Amino acid sequence: MSRNWLGALVASFVVWGMSSPAAQADSYPSKPIHLVVGYAAGGSTDLVARVVGQRLAEALGQPVVIDNRPGAGGTIASDQVARSAPDGHTIFMSTIANTINTSLYPKLPFDFAADFAPISLVATVPNVLVVNPDLPATNLKEFIALAKSKPGQLNFASSGTGSSIHLSGELFNMVAQVQLVHVPYKGSAPAVVDLISGQVQSMFDNLSSSLPYIKAGKLRALAVTSAQRSAAAPDIPTMAEAGLPGCEVTSWFALVAPAKTPKAIIVRLNEEVRRILGEPAVKTRLSELGADVAPSTPEELAALIASETAKWASVIKASGASIE
Amino acid sequence: MVMEQALADLWYGFGVALQPANLMWVVIGVVLGNLIGVLPGMGAMTTISMLLPLTYVIPAVPAILMLAGIFYGSMYGGAICAILLNLPSHPPHAVTCIDGYPMTLNGRGGAALGITMMASFFAASVGIVLMVFVSPLLEAVAFKFGPTEISAVMLLGLLAGATMARGLPLKGIAMTLFGLFVGAIGTDVSSGVQRYTFGLRELADGVDLAALSLGLFGISDFLLTVNRREVATTTTRLTMRQMMPTRNELKAAILPMLRGTGIGAIFGAMPGTGPTITTFVAYALERKIAKSPERFGKGAIEGVTAPEAAAHSKTQIDFIPTMSLGIPGDPVMALLLGALIIKGINTGPQLITEHPDVFWGLVASFWIGNLLLMVLNVPLIGIWVRLLRMPYRLLFPSALFFIAVGVYSTHNSVFDILLVAAFGCVGAIFLLLEFPVAPIVLGFVLGPMLEENFRRAMVLSHGDLMIYLQRPISAGFIIACMVLILLQLHSYLRAPASARPAYAPH
Repeated sequence: MSRNWLGALVASFVVWGMSSPAAQADSYPSKPIHLVVGYAAGGSTDLVARVVGQRLAEALGQPVVIDNRPGAGGTIASDQVARSAPDGHTIFMSTIANTINTSLYPKLPFDFAADFAPISLVATVPNVLVVNPDLPATNLKEFIALAKSKPGQLNFASSGTGSSIHLSGELFNMVAQVQLVHVPYKGSAPAVVDLISGQVQSMFDNLSSSLPYIKAGKLRALAVTSAQRSAAAPDIPTMAEAGLPGCEVTSWFALVAPAKTPKAIIVRLNEEVRRILGEPAVKTRLSELGADVAPSTPEELAALIASETAKWASVIKASGASIE
Repeated sequence: MVMEQALADLWYGFGVALQPANLMWVVIGVVLGNLIGVLPGMGAMTTISMLLPLTYVIPAVPAILMLAGIFYGSMYGGAICAILLNLPSHPPHAVTCIDGYPMTLNGRGGAALGITMMASFFAASVGIVLMVFVSPLLEAVAFKFGPTEISAVMLLGLLAGATMARGLPLKGIAMTLFGLFVGAIGTDVSSGVQRYTFGLRELADGVDLAALSLGLFGISDFLLTVNRREVATTTTRLTMRQMMPTRNELKAAILPMLRGTGIGAIFGAMPGTGPTITTFVAYALERKIAKSPERFGKGAIEGVTAPEAAAHSKTQIDFIPTMSLGIPGDPVMALLLGALIIKGINTGPQLITEHPDVFWGLVASFWIGNLLLMVLNVPLIGIWVRLLRMPYRLLFPSALFFIAVGVYSTHNSVFDILLVAAFGCVGAIFLLLEFPVAPIVLGFVLGPMLEENFRRAMVLSHGDLMIYLQRPISAGFIIACMVLILLQLHSYLRAPASARPAYAPH
């Protein structure tokens, strides 16, 4: 059994070694495509990449290999993609974290806005302000009033310093002029546990991970941070509807390629991705993950990356967060 | 009433798990798990993430049954390498090496494996029974554990563990401190500051546990023995008869098995504690209460039975918070949840009611899978052992190969392979100087959890240390810490001067 396994491994290396190094745009794709993910298998970025990657493989007639390179908030994967051959055979599932990291890490060896060519936005996930149900605040206005009456007493959990969940809280502090204390955790799951048990009082969690607890009544949702209500939870008002305009945060996933990838390949990938995102089956699967499909043109994605980078730079500057 | 309902549900679960297609995937899962458990470095994590795409094409129930089978199947395999080769294929089994390998050297390796299998099956069965009947109770306990309680538990674990090392107590403490230092490498969760990373982004998430333990235990042992050209310790043919423990060995193993199972159950109910601390605490407890602790490290059967039983009951009970709350206890559980989400199944508190076929089918498959592993292990251990009984000149390179592949595949990072090599050299130096390496793993695992939860507790209490005494559960653990320190001082002061090795002149 082990010998066969070893044989298969050796064979796969041989096949890998034989594939042609240079690829032409007209014969694209000429070998398996690596879709690099900056997070571990099983996380939300990975799941989105797998749903899209599977359909992309069928459309392009070449396998799409999901390449998980977790570490350092996705910057290890970004660096690797930025330096790989710009032939369309290496693409990257970037996230909102990429635009945050630009301001968070002072010494990155790449510039996310300049070293990557946008392909298409893929999906968006709103964050949701959830509180422990025992907290005496049933809506956003009451919560803000409670926070103002007890400055520095209420706190919010996050999945880590510099995560979109953390910075949503910092943005809220800025816009609502309150002082919630940041309590970082390693990942979202342990933070949600402590939120349910009342160790911490609030969190700006990704809607997808909190939704089951909201439905079960273990967490109370006050508002979603997206511009529109989410299809996954139409009962929850937006921040603006609940009385706090200007506190908009949407987590997003977008496909990008190394900067010098030929325009023809970018266009081809953009067409395929937009077609895939229009399929009802893909829509349903992504909505099960709490994500809304969001196809875009490369230009629209470039504009989003620019505006997000500027927004997080100002929030990070105001909150004083940074990774040395 | 509750009991009847649970039994009816379980009966339904067996109906699901025994459907031929589902049963087939259970068998595939456990055999595969057993194999990867034997191969050093090839963890359940790696295998499950590699097989995740395969599950896209099969329905949700068989997919989750197979993936779970890989997980607990690997637990059975892990003990084999630890006992026969002194190689902790997976970190939780590091502690099994301490007494399992000496048993092999004493010619009792077969008996150690036999006992381990019995203890494992027993502990897993207890875990499953708990999963069926007391899930609601354990859920309640899990929610009582905040940062304060977790940091108090970690402190107790660290104190208990630091004193379990063999040889000079000071050396044990030094190694625990070294482990704490290695654990401090990486990005600080509270402030985001990078510590001891020397600008290497590969170190930003800290040192990988698998890289550390495989280097310290596996590579260092190779480095020290490779030039001696001794005959491999596994040359003796392992038969059924040899795997039968003697009556005395069985007698000595029963109580440790029960205690280990209990510890595994307690730690399984606390999300985030991890399997490695569980086995270390089980080992430390056995050493603490043993009548003649000097036997430990020389092939004490309790030192093998208790941690393995703890690992298996913890493995099963880990599924309780994962399945009933959607809270993964460790990364493998997180991956399993991810697999369910891919299949369109919402995880969380409503999983059991919405998808009874998934939950009860899984529970029933645990029993079937564990029974299969018990039965299969008798012929399979023979095959695994033959695999491992190759001459050293073949065994070393192939084990190194699997270590490299396994470590690489966790983060797809070449840096981690270099890390294994570095820790191998460090471990070899420590072993030459007769420093015990097991406490390094303990300090490494517990240190960051203690720090993280302590700082979180301090943020939540606005810097008031009294919170540790105000909350009853943490107060209990703090008192236990005090008692442990007092007992240690007491036994030290009472021991005759000749038995105080720490200050004995050479």
